[in-house]
Amino acid sequence: MILQIVINGLLKGGLYALMAMGMSLIWGVMDIINIAHGSFIMLGAFTTYWLFTLLGIDPFLSLIASIGFLFVFGYIVQKYLINLIIRASAFITLVLTFGIEIFINNLAQVLWSADVRMVQIPYGAANFSIGSSVTIPIMRLIAFLLVIVISIILFFILNRTNLGRSIRATSQDLDAARLVGVDVAKTYSVTFGLGVGAAGAAGTLWSILFPITPMMGGILTLKSFVVVIIGGLGSMLGPLIGGLILGVTESLGTNWLGATYENLIGFTILVLVLIMRPKGIMGGAD
Amino acid sequence: MGNKRLRNYLICGLILLGVAVFPLLFNNFVIRFGTDILMFAIMASAWNIIGGYTGYASFGNVVFFGIGAYTTAVLMEKAGLNFAFAFIAAGMGSALFAIIIGLPVLRLHGHYFAIATLGVAEAMKALVQNLEITEGNSGIYLPMLDLSVKAQYCFFFYVMLGTLIVTLVATYFLLNAKFGYSLIAIREDEDSANSIGINTTAAKTIAFALSGLFTGLAGSVYAYQQAFIKPGSVFTVESTLKMIVMAIFGGIGRLFGPLLGAVSIEVVSEILSNYFLVAHTLFFGALVILSIVFMPKGIADMLTQKKFGLIYFLQNIRKNRI
Repeated sequence: MILQIVINGLLKGGLYALMAMGMSLIWGVMDIINIAHGSFIMLGAFTTYWLFTLLGIDPFLSLIASIGFLFVFGYIVQKYLINLIIRASAFITLVLTFGIEIFINNLAQVLWSADVRMVQIPYGAANFSIGSSVTIPIMRLIAFLLVIVISIILFFILNRTNLGRSIRATSQDLDAARLVGVDVAKTYSVTFGLGVGAAGAAGTLWSILFPITPMMGGILTLKSFVVVIIGGLGSMLGPLIGGLILGVTESLGTNWLGATYENLIGFTILVLVLIMRPKGIMGGAD
Repeated sequence: MGNKRLRNYLICGLILLGVAVFPLLFNNFVIRFGTDILMFAIMASAWNIIGGYTGYASFGNVVFFGIGAYTTAVLMEKAGLNFAFAFIAAGMGSALFAIIIGLPVLRLHGHYFAIATLGVAEAMKALVQNLEITEGNSGIYLPMLDLSVKAQYCFFFYVMLGTLIVTLVATYFLLNAKFGYSLIAIREDEDSANSIGINTTAAKTIAFALSGLFTGLAGSVYAYQQAFIKPGSVFTVESTLKMIVMAIFGGIGRLFGPLLGAVSIEVVSEILSNYFLVAHTLFFGALVILSIVFMPKGIADMLTQKKFGLIYFLQNIRKNRI
């Protein structure tokens, strides 16, 4: 029983980790808190939904389309909107992304109505058992494995490519990076695109596992905050650890207290971690 | 100098007189609209104390609004107290909560403070959704005010107006005292402020408590006016955003900035929702985006710089873009 709960938590935690990865990247490199993050996840989910419903494309295949579409979208948003205001105080950019969130969510609601939708794939309910007490849904397992694959790709991009080097250089010292010839504005746009692309991937996986609505993003942004704060900024490992911790704690907590306590658990952890270890469990000393 | 001051007092008096006779001239719908503007003006001005003057951008100020509303509801409905008592208790309760939560949270800076306050607000919302005394997610009813409809509208208008005046007058006097300079010193450089002997912890905690006090009072009046509240309506992140956007749009760190912002944003959103029934929130989002990009320092800055239109907008973008 308890093993099943922990496994459920870990599988959901993987998705949380992917959600937070993009946010952590954007936050860490540009010091932008992207409140619209959940809206981008929603757009990823709807990309998959429409490709599946209208064209019959398999949701796992549409992962690539969703990442691509959101990368371009994120690139454009950063280049033509956020870059215009990036040197104002950090909190101004925060409010700007809040405005973007309202805009995207409501546009989606006007276009697609507030209906709750599902991506119903024929093999969606498949699962297998380990021993007598543990059942693992295959969809969730595949989603979890994809999260690992995407994290490795992202890790590779950041650590082994020229693009990754410019991103890390810009993150460490903007002026020095510019001095050695990094196109900072472009690097910012690409980084934002990568973060938003990761959000799109999370949206696709979310739409395979859970119902979706145009307003689903708000709570997902907040959950991403919790994960980023638990894990701390500055490494790919942070969101992964944070996501798994949140997934398992939620799973155990709701089993013990009841499903309505899910958010209370998450936000209490958020506030406690911030008060006690502001740099996160994985981060250094304050 | 003395003359200028006298003139300013006169202008304030005239505006106040105009606002005071406002309910006598218009119908209930307009009075209610005016009450909403006053409410947001209180919240934006209260946010300005901590976010504008002290430089701690709180993203969870709605928590005080919710606590004020729920304190009023529980005290009136469950304990049978009258509104006057519940109103004061709501303000005190919110201020107390601000002190308790402020002591640990105000040690954080920048983004971390913003996220922490957001987390506090969301945690409190989730808690209220689960508590029995607040009747959880289904919401709680308050006793109705026993007056004619017109008199009810006027009552809430004047209580809200009174609260706004208290908020602004208190802000004005505190900010012109030593306390106000401590706050601005904290905003400009907290370490230096500390080193010249300002008790920064005390100053910013008091600022947070004041912000909580006035926001809580607004929440109290709102709850009584609505006669029914639920967690989703009094703890929404959108309210926090609205007060911040109003403060920015008017001008952060200026006494009348938030008031200016509240009036203009509310009027614009009202016009939008008249013309676009479905999509007015969409336009509100666009308005937030455009005003942040083109005038991050608000109307007040535009007025003092005496530059208008394209020149001013482009100057802002040139200054802030990368």
